[in-house]
Amino acid sequence: MTVIELKDVKKTYGKGSAQVEALKDINFKADKGEVVLIMGPSGAGKSTFLTIAGSLRQPTSGSVMINGQDISNYSAKQRNNLRLNEVGFVLQAYNLVPYLTVHEQFVLVDKVKKQNNLSKADLQKLFEDLGIGNLLKKYPNELSGGQQQRGAIARALYANPAILLADEPTASLDSQNIEEVGKLFKKLAKERDKAILLVTHDPRLKQFADHIYEMMDGQMTQEK
Amino acid sequence: MFLALKEIKHEKLRYGLIILMMFLISYLIFMLAGLALGLAEENTQAITSWDAKSVVMNKTSNISLMQSILTKDDLKNAKVGKNEAYLGEIPVVAKAKGHKSISAQFLGIKKSQFIYKDQELLAGHLAKKKNEVTADEAFQIKGYKLGDKIKLGNSKKKYTIVGFVKNAKINIAPIIYGRLATWKELHPGIPNLVASGIISKNANYKYNYKNAKTYGIKTVINKLPGYTAQNLTFEMMIGFLFIISLIIIAVFLYILTMQKMHNFAVMRAQGIPSKTLVAATIGQSIILVVTGVVLSLIAMFLTNLAMPKSVPMDLSPAIIIAGCAGMLLMGIIGSLIPIRSILKVDPANAIGE
Repeated sequence: MTVIELKDVKKTYGKGSAQVEALKDINFKADKGEVVLIMGPSGAGKSTFLTIAGSLRQPTSGSVMINGQDISNYSAKQRNNLRLNEVGFVLQAYNLVPYLTVHEQFVLVDKVKKQNNLSKADLQKLFEDLGIGNLLKKYPNELSGGQQQRGAIARALYANPAILLADEPTASLDSQNIEEVGKLFKKLAKERDKAILLVTHDPRLKQFADHIYEMMDGQMTQEK
Repeated sequence: MFLALKEIKHEKLRYGLIILMMFLISYLIFMLAGLALGLAEENTQAITSWDAKSVVMNKTSNISLMQSILTKDDLKNAKVGKNEAYLGEIPVVAKAKGHKSISAQFLGIKKSQFIYKDQELLAGHLAKKKNEVTADEAFQIKGYKLGDKIKLGNSKKKYTIVGFVKNAKINIAPIIYGRLATWKELHPGIPNLVASGIISKNANYKYNYKNAKTYGIKTVINKLPGYTAQNLTFEMMIGFLFIISLIIIAVFLYILTMQKMHNFAVMRAQGIPSKTLVAATIGQSIILVVTGVVLSLIAMFLTNLAMPKSVPMDLSPAIIIAGCAGMLLMGIIGSLIPIRSILKVDPANAIGE
């Protein structure tokens, strides 16, 4: 089942001679249970794609469908709600609130989203899967890069979103951890029925992807 | 409040320093306000204790009881009832053997009138004989005792202190209450003297005849030497202190907020509503201000206990409430300044686009 679909999406910044076309006629879709890789060099438009797919920004033209709903013209408040309920983010760094312990990151979600979060048992299972059950009282600055990344994944999945977007999820990890995180995303996508979109430079993640898209100069092509 | 409290708990040094700053500002405000009110109170203490509403004085005295002299001729038609009292005021230097001289105000009063009866005794008794006086507690604080015999200025006569009274200061100087006849004796060579003025508890009391004119009590108080200038000075100091506090608090909160913009962008990207971040920012500044103010009140209370009695300090509930409300208002206004930046934070910044 398709969870997210972008049709003929364009995004331009600036006006007149300073106008830059960051995304050109992007067509993209991802289904539940899939890991989709979006690759490309710096400046190719990956981050812009992520902001549109994650409803952080609106496209200049085209449509973005999430769970069958066209969100292209959603207000800022509606998009905020959508991110809280349907989209989980795993960012490169500072993904966790620095002054909250790992456990308190989940309390914060509970404060703003009262329903449809993971149950205690489910969360416990997620901690076990991620191997962070013993880190709940630690602050982010007391964790290694890999532990922070797994904490951020748990935080993103706690709100039970349909889509998980990860921006350069392996940027601060060594080879062994990259392998582990790749397997983890694959496992989470299959077991928890999520669409996981990974924006990355790292070709080592290719082996875990169901689909791979290549971005270059704002255009997207799917690898066969 | 969840985010506000957690951040303060985690960043103890940073927020400890901000609380210290709030503490120092509010301590300074309470100290200045307490001293200002204490001084103002010492200017008007006696007038307040008499519950005076209007005063008859010589119209050429520049509304000063010290300068006013009313004669029998001026007061020929004056009606003096139970709410009125004659008062003779003259500045004196009081001196007793073995004690330092004290600059005071001698107030001559009549035994049958309310000023005499309303004296608030701390020790001894009211003056009954011609050579007896009661004195403000400042005399007692400076070592004078009941039974001490004092000389007033150049007068050769000695007067025995038979009582110490409280709330007996006028224009900051301690009062010596004695007979109106004694006041007359301190003005040799002036015939037909009656008093410096008539003090009335009645706001509608009017007596305007020859040199006598009636003034409202506010006019009389505002014309006390130095009173208005001193109050204005303190009011300006406290006012500017509030303005400077507002600027300092606003700048601190703005810098703090700006440092947290990336965190806010991340939280906004994760769908945390702006109102949660705004509430956390305002809540945090309220916590910081309230903590600083409470600590300063405790410090102020201890300072007041350690302060010598001679220092005029009045920490009335009104001052405490006004100071707390002022600081809280400054904190809330200060925290509102960076709110616009929080509302405008772009969640896409979390991506590092």
